[in-house]
Amino acid sequence: MMSSELLLAGRFRRLVATLVDAVLVPALALLLLTITDVMEDADDYANVGLMMLWVFLLAVVAYVILNGYTLWRRGQTLGKWVMGIAIVPASSLLYDSAKNDGDEHQRAYVPAPFVPAPFVPAPLWKLIFIRALFFPLLFMAVVPWVALLPVLDQALIFGKRRRCLHDLVAGTVVVRV
Amino acid sequence: MSRLRNTRSRIAAGGRGLARFMAVTGCLWATFFAHGVVAECGTVDPLPGFESSYARGWGIDQRNTRYQPRSTIDSGNAAKLTLKWAYGLASTTPRSYPLVTEDTIFLGDGGRGLVALERETGCERWVYEHEGPISSTILQGWIGKRRILIFNDRNDGMFAIDAVDGEFIWHATVEDEPAPWYSGSPLLLGDTVILPVSSKEVGYAVNPIYGCCTTSGGMAAFDIKTGAKLWYIPTIEAIAQPTERHWLFVQEYGPSGAPVWAAPSYDAKRGLIFFGTGQNYSHPTTETSDSIFAVVAKTGEVRWVRQFTANDAYTAACNLEALNHPNCPDPTGPDVDFGAATMLVKSKAGRELVIAGQKSADAHAMDPETGEVVWTQKLGRGGIIGGVHWGMAANESLGLVYVPISDKKIVGFSSPGEPTPGLYALDIETGERRWKYSRGSRCPDLECVFGFSAAIIASNDIVVAGSMDGILEVIAAESGKRLWSHDSWRDYRSVNNVVTSGGAFDAHGAMIADDLLLVSSGYSYVGQQRGGNAFLVFQIGVDDEQ
Repeated sequence: MMSSELLLAGRFRRLVATLVDAVLVPALALLLLTITDVMEDADDYANVGLMMLWVFLLAVVAYVILNGYTLWRRGQTLGKWVMGIAIVPASSLLYDSAKNDGDEHQRAYVPAPFVPAPFVPAPLWKLIFIRALFFPLLFMAVVPWVALLPVLDQALIFGKRRRCLHDLVAGTVVVRV
Repeated sequence: MSRLRNTRSRIAAGGRGLARFMAVTGCLWATFFAHGVVAECGTVDPLPGFESSYARGWGIDQRNTRYQPRSTIDSGNAAKLTLKWAYGLASTTPRSYPLVTEDTIFLGDGGRGLVALERETGCERWVYEHEGPISSTILQGWIGKRRILIFNDRNDGMFAIDAVDGEFIWHATVEDEPAPWYSGSPLLLGDTVILPVSSKEVGYAVNPIYGCCTTSGGMAAFDIKTGAKLWYIPTIEAIAQPTERHWLFVQEYGPSGAPVWAAPSYDAKRGLIFFGTGQNYSHPTTETSDSIFAVVAKTGEVRWVRQFTANDAYTAACNLEALNHPNCPDPTGPDVDFGAATMLVKSKAGRELVIAGQKSADAHAMDPETGEVVWTQKLGRGGIIGGVHWGMAANESLGLVYVPISDKKIVGFSSPGEPTPGLYALDIETGERRWKYSRGSRCPDLECVFGFSAAIIASNDIVVAGSMDGILEVIAAESGKRLWSHDSWRDYRSVNNVVTSGGAFDAHGAMIADDLLLVSSGYSYVGQQRGGNAFLVFQIGVDDEQ
């Protein structure tokens, strides 16, 4: 279904989409943490392990609240929706370098999030249980040595098919829509 | 089960890969770049001697005078101090004060454990493995005929182990507070161990969705035999109540704070312990913050409290001044804790005084009976790491108390006034200033800022002080003249063959025993200071590199 007409998403669009997600998800997580009081007093810190588990779970909840529906129906996080790109199975893209240069495929596309996508998005379970697991790595970029992981993950985007490590592991590719 | 391992068993066990790598790297590094005497650590007798001890706690004596009477180092021979050996610590922020016996040095090595080093060579007798940050002096005591060692894990409480075989005996924590911080060294009084209690909330408050603050500092007493709590007193008796909210959902509380950061001093005649408190963490403030407490050692009954700075509310969130952090109390106080240990000293005229040094750079003398202020001396500008930060020393025969002043500026934090760092000698009886020792910075960088944050120690006619710019100095006790110095911003060849370098002098400061001067070099806990992992032992009259 239209697979041969899908174009790889540009690196800049992907970068901006990632930055949007990296702001929105923690912002909602912070709001959830604030409302639920899971790290609001000294008693919470008395069991740091449990507190951190709550923080993680609420971050997951924030991710799913923000991105769950659009990922399911359109293979898009909010950031990708804003930037007009989507995640599809790698097998759905028959890479055609000749078509990549055609202006007709670069036309602006205003996505409608609540309308089923005109393409087949990647399976939700892959997006949540494989691909999304790499998302927290973004926030480890400030930790020495551990920062190599997100760098490695993102560095692969400079490959010919612009697939980050999380794309390779999940078997996905990001395209313009 | 014992977690003690001696050197041979460690080698037999193969060690850890990283440790091996570090050791090999350290050897190469040391061979090419460093100098010094390195002992060949062959077979070391794992049994330490305990016939003689050079301190009864953090303050050398129980009054916290930090005066070492058992020393041969004086103004006549201090210039002959030379490096005897260096030991490479696992931590670059060493924060343990050694226990010295006739043949052994016990020292906490952050993240690694408690190490027993042969005094003559620095070779390891054994290592008691402990993952947490050992942050106190090492006490020795008895349970019946069993000799024990007591130390603090800053995060996890107080531990007692068998001094001979390393067997774990007990672990004591303060359950009365949800976020206790065990920064202050314990004090052993007979069968009772007195433990200062601070609060981690000062740091938790950096989290903007934390509802600051509910906890209090305090002082606790434990039975040495079992580790059971005998009494606990909070420095704030009132239970924190909800106050304001920020960000709609985050409930704030108060009063809170008044942590105890340092070892108490003991007045045997009156049966009292004295200790200082820090600032409040939230409003409303209390009359017990930035105060000196006198407490009956046996019962915990508060005899008197003397407050020196009122309405001082401050948390680490205030260090992020530009962010207008919601957990920085408004109005914001100057953060002038009594971080340094109090001392009970006697003037030449025989008058006993409790002397306390404050981060405001004030030194105060009080009547131990009533808490009445006898004199106060303002010696510097003060700041969030002093003023007086870790501890003073006294030489009662000279009638002098020595007050180290840090006055260090912290980036991003306003420090009004001119800094006047240095070492000050005051008359115990009157507080009159006798002399001041100071010098310039060695470079324009912040890590070069001169100032004495670390505790100091006195002996005979000398005072030993290490500065934040990595220079250890011996100063004449009567004149303030510098007699000897050692620049620790360098690499050392260590007896345990790990990469070893010095850094800032801070925290508990130096120890003296006989003709030895012992000190940890490196402290990166407070920003802008150079970390290091060297434990250095100097000796009078040993010829080496220097």
